[in-house]
Amino acid sequence: MDIILSMEIPTQRYGLSRILIWIILFGVITIILYSSLPSSTWPWLGQRLSVFATVFLGIFIEALPFLLMGTLSSGLVEVFLSDDWLARSAPRRALPAALVGASLGLIFPICECGTVPLARRLFRKGLPLPAGISFLLAAPVLNPIVILSTATAFGWGRMLLWRLGLSLLMAVSVGLAFSIEKDSANILRAPIFKMELSVLDHHPANETFLQKIQRALLISADEFFEMGRYLVLGASLAALLQAFISQTSLLTIGSGPILSVLVMLTLAVLLSICSTVDAFIALGFMGTFSFGSVLSFLVFGPMVDIKSILMFLQVFRRKTVFYLVLLPLLMSLLAGLAFNYFYV
Amino acid sequence: MSLRLYRFLQAFILLALVVFIGFKLISGTLSLYINMQYMPLTVFGIIMLAIMTFVIIQHPSLESDEHEHSDSDNQHDVSPSALIILIVPLLIGVLIPVHPLDATAASTRGMNVSAPLVGSSQTREFQSAADTRNILDWIVIFNSTNDLSPYVGQTARVTGFVYHDPRLSANQFIVSRFVITCCTADASAIGMIVNWNQSAGLTESSWVEVKGPVQASKLGGQPIPLIEASDVQSTLQPDQPYLYP
Repeated sequence: MDIILSMEIPTQRYGLSRILIWIILFGVITIILYSSLPSSTWPWLGQRLSVFATVFLGIFIEALPFLLMGTLSSGLVEVFLSDDWLARSAPRRALPAALVGASLGLIFPICECGTVPLARRLFRKGLPLPAGISFLLAAPVLNPIVILSTATAFGWGRMLLWRLGLSLLMAVSVGLAFSIEKDSANILRAPIFKMELSVLDHHPANETFLQKIQRALLISADEFFEMGRYLVLGASLAALLQAFISQTSLLTIGSGPILSVLVMLTLAVLLSICSTVDAFIALGFMGTFSFGSVLSFLVFGPMVDIKSILMFLQVFRRKTVFYLVLLPLLMSLLAGLAFNYFYV
Repeated sequence: MSLRLYRFLQAFILLALVVFIGFKLISGTLSLYINMQYMPLTVFGIIMLAIMTFVIIQHPSLESDEHEHSDSDNQHDVSPSALIILIVPLLIGVLIPVHPLDATAASTRGMNVSAPLVGSSQTREFQSAADTRNILDWIVIFNSTNDLSPYVGQTARVTGFVYHDPRLSANQFIVSRFVITCCTADASAIGMIVNWNQSAGLTESSWVEVKGPVQASKLGGQPIPLIEASDVQSTLQPDQPYLYP
């Protein structure tokens, strides 16, 4: 421990001084703004700030249980799933692996806040790359909770079927695309293989069931802090957007078969709504937007949004994240356009 | 940062979250943020956080540093930044006063007088007495019924906040509520246009109870309800300021 501590001191000092600099900078800017802006700005800003706080806490409180479910699953997988079982039993070939990965969400019913920590854990346990990627993209939609919420909003009809079908198709294709890369070190960020606290690795061989549960919960707690910060950042961005930028202006731009899809895809990323409930939000857009553009919102949103991009960056290399965003984006765009031109 | 301090701070923040969200739950202010239908999930979250706090507190690594393994594979970066960011929700919750979404939010999010909302409550409001219907009920009726004749002329009694829309004339205002499907991220403002000759005197965002016969009006070809107000009383903000579809 002592050795490690001495190694950490420089980063810690840097971290603290950096935080101090930010606080001072923030203070200076506030004072300058306070003295230079007209006094009528302040009530205006105060009102917007209270809208920001209400929306931010709404997203945070609503997403928290889902994030906890994800980190809990991850902790349980770490403790109870033996290291080589998954690697041995998962299909080797790319297509079966991608299909299995895409349907794993039916066993782990979590939304996009929970899939990233779990996917990272499964990678560490030796899950093949195509399976992990497909899981990451499909699980937020192909799971019992989301199927139920989509059906509640749109009924057991074509919207549900197309949403599930397209998500599966896209997740499997992206998984297959990544199977070309054989060396997972080129895809994943290095630290994912050595991130455990030593205490957690040094468990007695004859651990009791209770001790195992304890260890799982401790891992969940660590992961909650690691992934929770991206939830906080993502929720802040989404709430800032909602408090300060007029949605009506965005909606008025959004007519026409191409623009409507683009607007809905942008909204999917910026609003960062949890996949378990986004169907209800999409329902609100049905009057203003075409079937194709709402469908593209429902397919793309769970795969990519502000929260998940920030979480992806913790697990994958930057180049991988770029393709993880670009490929689903292009496919959702294509699907939305196809529906707008040929279906309705 | 030593592992012991790290664990201590973790436990402290988790406990603070339990207290913070638990307090919102008990005091009823939780309903200002989420649809209470999802309350069981929040309870699950609070319990999970509490269990995590407990596990960290009773774990040997918090008691003393002697229990630590000093093996060379201790490579976890215990950076304080992750901990600090999770204090942000607590700071926002404590420093910025609790306030439900109001006319300010409606002005950036847009006001809807003919919401295309389809909810599970569809059958409820059709049978209900006219003066028990809320704004959402009236709008759903006007949005989904072909024959409006039984409803036109009925006396409405609705509560909402005042919203002055620049597109309205001087003797009109909108009585409005926010509809929350899941949480405040999906809030959308709905409202009924009210004809009332003292409209200009009403303060934006203040809560009012509006009484008067309902008339059918048109907006972009879509029938919308309009209240010919006989009485507008200022009232207190209801315990549940939002409506749920």
